[in-house]
Amino acid sequence: MIEGSGINLSVNLGRIKLKNPVVTCSGTFSSGLEYSEFYDVSILGAVTTKSFSFVSRAGNPPPRIWETTCGMLNSIGLQNEGIDFFIKNHLPKIKSLGAKIILSIFGDDPGEFKKIAREVKKVESSLLAVELNLSCPNVKEGGIAFSSMPAEVEKITEAVCKILEIPLIVKLSPNSDSIIESAIRAKCGGAEAVSIINSIVGTAIDIDTFKPRLGNVTGGMSGPAIKPIALAKVYFLAKADILPIIGMGGIYDWRDAVEFLVAGASAVGVGTANFVDYEAGKKIIEGIRNYLSKKGINDINKIIGKAIC
Amino acid sequence: MKLLSGEIISNEKCGKGLYKIEVFSPYICRNANAGQFVNVKCSPDGILDPLLRRPFSIYNVEKEYNVFSILYLEKGKGTKFLSDLKKGSNLNFAGPLGSSISIGDRSKNFLLVGGGIGIAPLYFLARTLIQKGKNIFFAAGFKDNNFIEWSGELTRLGINYRIFTEDGSWGDEGLATDFVKENIKKYKNYKIYCCGPRDMLISMQDILAGKKISVTALLEERMACGVGVCRGCAVKIKDGNGSFVYKTVCKDGPAFDLMEVIFD
Ligand SMILES: Cc1cc2nc3c(=O)[nH]c(=O)nc-3n(C[C@H](O)[C@H](O)[C@H](O)COP(=O)(O)OP(=O)(O)OC[C@H]3O[C@@H](n4cnc5c(N)ncnc54)[C@H](O)[C@@H]3O)c2cc1C
Ligand SMILES: Cc1cc2nc3c(=O)[nH]c(=O)nc-3n(C[C@H](O)[C@H](O)[C@H](O)COP(=O)(O)O)c2cc1C
Ligand code: FES
Repeated sequence: MIEGSGINLSVNLGRIKLKNPVVTCSGTFSSGLEYSEFYDVSILGAVTTKSFSFVSRAGNPPPRIWETTCGMLNSIGLQNEGIDFFIKNHLPKIKSLGAKIILSIFGDDPGEFKKIAREVKKVESSLLAVELNLSCPNVKEGGIAFSSMPAEVEKITEAVCKILEIPLIVKLSPNSDSIIESAIRAKCGGAEAVSIINSIVGTAIDIDTFKPRLGNVTGGMSGPAIKPIALAKVYFLAKADILPIIGMGGIYDWRDAVEFLVAGASAVGVGTANFVDYEAGKKIIEGIRNYLSKKGINDINKIIGKAIC
Repeated sequence: MKLLSGEIISNEKCGKGLYKIEVFSPYICRNANAGQFVNVKCSPDGILDPLLRRPFSIYNVEKEYNVFSILYLEKGKGTKFLSDLKKGSNLNFAGPLGSSISIGDRSKNFLLVGGGIGIAPLYFLARTLIQKGKNIFFAAGFKDNNFIEWSGELTRLGINYRIFTEDGSWGDEGLATDFVKENIKKYKNYKIYCCGPRDMLISMQDILAGKKISVTALLEERMACGVGVCRGCAVKIKDGNGSFVYKTVCKDGPAFDLMEVIFD
């Protein structure tokens, strides 16, 4: 779609069509309802929801947040009300706001993913895509995640793919060396795209009490401090040319977003920046459009992957 | 709630590391209620450290001037940045956030118990209660006499109050909570609101256990979003079935029934 100014911002990630490349990162935007008080969230390429499990999860013991230099650690532990709650309470409201929705889901094992998928099946026509969170560092201490086990990635993707017709995105972790292998397995399992990166395992310790700052000992590091790491992961995965990528990790403003696109991401996720500037998503879309206009580029697709050599 | 920018009318020191900042904001003055807070950007535009916003209770609202204020203690990078802001420059903040304290018509008498900077939200509450013609007693406890200059504002409210300091340098020597403990019979028919350090809130819980007196605490927890999105500011609250749920300080709170809070 050509938006305003004659510049094409729309991108396709396989079957997933976005009117612009800016989506939100799971867990940093809830289901978009709170932020809709700050701006019209339907202007986003899509709203990616918090990860929902089959039944509700209490999450980890507090403290759950620790600020680091230019970043933060969180150990939320996927606190959520369960998929039924999302379907009954959030989905109708966010749909009525006109937003495109990517539903993030999370399970403890392939069986739970299948159970969630069967529930999602009933409303899949209301969703743009489903993102499989195979990479939360906060659930088991030390951040053991499915995405560090490529065979599991394929198994889960395939299982969900058999149930749902809408496109699947697989979210991978930076906390293992197997991103490329996992992406290949995700593709074999039927995924349409991958999201990288989830937060990076980190910790902080109080030197007076000798106790960890987070109730869960470790947490996920996010925010501007992790950007170079995320960017390198995106670059190498894009170079391997397996599946289209939603790049995320430390994106703070439109310059960061453009950097990810040029590194090979077909879309970008805005996460921690939403906490700092509640209008970050909106400003990043505007910034990208201005950048293209100033550069005299009429189609965003012309810059995607430009840096790959 | 809105993302706002407001001119700083004054930002003055009123104790060691203690400041009051007054900000022009018709929106906050129209919409804020006692118990709510603002989430302040404590670094210049485009500077990424400190990254997260800082939450501060709304200390006062002067509707006639469209000015609200925050009373704050300098603690680290964020509050240092705040204390350096000059009159005439702009403050970037979001608010009003959190749920309002609802003051029923039935209760007539209110006991406010504040510890240290915890007196800040109670001051706004006291002003609200005065407007509703309620009877208030304010017990404020401090380590030392650092808040002595501030206390003029408390005096001007024209309510009954007592000051306690741990070192005896101002008011009565001792803890505000010891005063509450000794006089609890007098406050049988009062509604109690308290805000202060965790140890003070735990003492209040002990004092009030089994007493059937309504007590509300304003809690603090580290925050990321401040608007109920991230679940970072979780506190353990009893769920009535012998178990607990995690609630958010920024959206469900900051005010909670103190007897329902689980301090681990
Ligand atoms: C609902 C609420 C209301 C508050 N009201 C007031 C007030 O009216 N006046 C006042 O002086 N202070 C208040 N505080 C505490 C205030 O937010 C912290 O003092 C401030 O964030 C410290 O920031 P800093 O960068 O100076 O300190 P740093 O220690 O460098 O901060 C590091 C990180 O820890 C967080 N943090 C540090 N102390 C606290 C704390 N006590 N509570 C929550 N997060 C903290 C910061 O926000 C930041 O993310 C309130 C806190 C909450 C949660
Ligand atoms: C508070 C918080 C909660 C998060 N919750 C989730 C989640 O539920 N599911 C998920 O896939 N990622 C979650 N993430 C990871 C983000 O989606 C994102 O991958 C990561 O934060 C990197 O992007 P950023 O630096 O822009 O925040 C969470 C991140 C934060 C900060
Ligand atoms: S700070 Fe994000 S939910 Fe409270």
